[in-house]
Amino acid sequence: MNSIWEVIDKAETGQYMEERDFDLNVVARLCRDLVKEYGIKFDPAQIITSDDSMVDNVFEAGLRLALEAGIFCIDTKRIIRFDEHDLREGTSSAPTSLIIGQGKDSRILYARGVEDERDPIICGGQAGAAIPEEWYLPMALSFMKEPLVDMINNGGLAVVEGRKVKTNTPLEIQATRRELRMLREAADRAGRPGIHLLAGESSVSALGDLAIASDKYMRTSDAHLVALLNELKTDNQRISKVVNFTEYGAHNVTLVDPIIGGYAGGPEGVAVCFIASFLLGRVMYGSEYHVIHPIHFRYMSTSAVECMWNLNIVGQAMSRNAPYILMGDVWTSAGAGSEMVFYEIAANTITNVVTGSHPLGCSATNGKYPHASGLETRFMAEVALETARSGLKRENANEMVVKLASLYKDRQAKPDIGKPFPELYDMARVVPKPEWNATYLKMKREIAEMTGLDL
Amino acid sequence: MLDDLANSVISGDANRAAEAAKKALTGGVDPLNAITNGLNRGMKQVGEDFSKLKVYLPEVMMAAEAMKAALAILEPAALKKDSTSIKKSKVVIATIAGDIHDIGKNIVSLLMRANGFEIYDLGRDVPIDVMISKALDVNAEIIAASTLLSTSMPYMEDMIALLKERGLRGKFIIMVGGGPVTKEWATSIGADGYGDDGDEAVKVAYELLQRVKPS
Repeated sequence: MNSIWEVIDKAETGQYMEERDFDLNVVARLCRDLVKEYGIKFDPAQIITSDDSMVDNVFEAGLRLALEAGIFCIDTKRIIRFDEHDLREGTSSAPTSLIIGQGKDSRILYARGVEDERDPIICGGQAGAAIPEEWYLPMALSFMKEPLVDMINNGGLAVVEGRKVKTNTPLEIQATRRELRMLREAADRAGRPGIHLLAGESSVSALGDLAIASDKYMRTSDAHLVALLNELKTDNQRISKVVNFTEYGAHNVTLVDPIIGGYAGGPEGVAVCFIASFLLGRVMYGSEYHVIHPIHFRYMSTSAVECMWNLNIVGQAMSRNAPYILMGDVWTSAGAGSEMVFYEIAANTITNVVTGSHPLGCSATNGKYPHASGLETRFMAEVALETARSGLKRENANEMVVKLASLYKDRQAKPDIGKPFPELYDMARVVPKPEWNATYLKMKREIAEMTGLDL
Repeated sequence: MLDDLANSVISGDANRAAEAAKKALTGGVDPLNAITNGLNRGMKQVGEDFSKLKVYLPEVMMAAEAMKAALAILEPAALKKDSTSIKKSKVVIATIAGDIHDIGKNIVSLLMRANGFEIYDLGRDVPIDVMISKALDVNAEIIAASTLLSTSMPYMEDMIALLKERGLRGKFIIMVGGGPVTKEWATSIGADGYGDDGDEAVKVAYELLQRVKPS
């Protein structure tokens, strides 16, 4: 497989192109043409599809896109290309299982299959959120204390010691180190010192990332996210992060988040773009696992119908053709403290688990407000485990998800954003307050009755 | 002829739009009427279709290109007739310092252009002093800043502080938006407006132009 040295070389010597040409004449054109050629069609009534031939077509179209487009390096305006041999080698060498974390808290993260009955790995946390420093520790503790949570991906810090953190400033280093110290502290307090952290979210540029490659902060059993920029792009900051963690020996994880309505087009084009991104991300970043995060151009939420269709078809396409370890994001429009958030979590989680990914969430309010807690992640875990253990099939899962989505999709433009963490939890004992616990129990009962899942 | 202009924009065909513009002028169509009821109508339709996900960002970009090609022919003719007839509100827009995520900003930029604003899009990771300088240069009414990163939001606050420090705050309407930005936060830093998405940004910009008069 290509080494990171070759990636750096290619970013300097690849074909030169103006970015606008890459966006319109390469990505947009190819996505549009490939969707047409392979007859890929989004159907809101089939959020979870059982059409294996369409699933495989999405994969083939994605492979073609990866080969024909490559990755655009924003800094050098050059295209990093890989041939079919490189991509096939990247796939054949991709781990299908991985030990994450340490000691008794370690877990085996694995590539899930379609309708896989094995317990999924549960990743908890409000990923992507800017969490106030004074709540960061108790909020992290609320996730770590949940016994069903196997690993953590929490948000970053927007303020450190009263100073607002700005990109590309020294405060990024302070914030990322503080984030990791608090995550470690929370893990220790929860009695789970070896829990796997997918972290360093306070580091937008490579600055913070470089500052945490140490046992004190991130261990080699931990992981960080390296994004593919929209669409099919990277830059020297991302490549620097990869270089750092590759040499340090911790895990690189590709974050792929194409925008529905953006350069790749609608849900169908985005699905094709996802496959290309995973194949290219693997060879470029050497990633061991990967995050599926479709973005709805208006709601952002992965629980939007078009996004869940993407989670479904991309998960299945990868699972059947290139079994990578995939984490499927669960990002809701609604916040913790609301009833709506439970419908979104249930639909999104069932979709992920049945179609080949592990659930990662819940990032309530899409991380826009720190309105999140461990309790709704417990619900996500319960839904995920029961979905897998009950051997839920795609057809039945689709019925459930369509029904659940009908209960919230018209409210996603103006969702109930719930309440901030301190209003939901007893901050001293770090347990849910009675009112929030009662909402959880009520909604769990209602969704169990509606879906037939034994929650 | 007006339909032809509108349809050339909707189909994103720059050559066809330029041809339609020439035909409109030789056919005696009032250039301002051609812009308003031909090009603008087409662009508005594209914006509405995009909001409903009937078309996507590339189609909106192509439509904007087609509109630009036709405007290059129609605008000089309209100005010759009446120099005040096509005065547009000027907007300087950018993804603010520290952030390279520009798709959201591009969408807002295109939708504002589609709705008749004169847009100066400075791109991404733009320092705040560059945004202010450009706004002064072109005599903009609005400065619009976007970010997807919570760690670039403080630069929006810095921009407002710098405008105050330089005695320029009253000169511009300040709008902010992007993934982590909220209405409450926009108010807290003293911004004039916030848009949750492209459509809302356009509406808010119109409202602010009526309500807040830059001095």
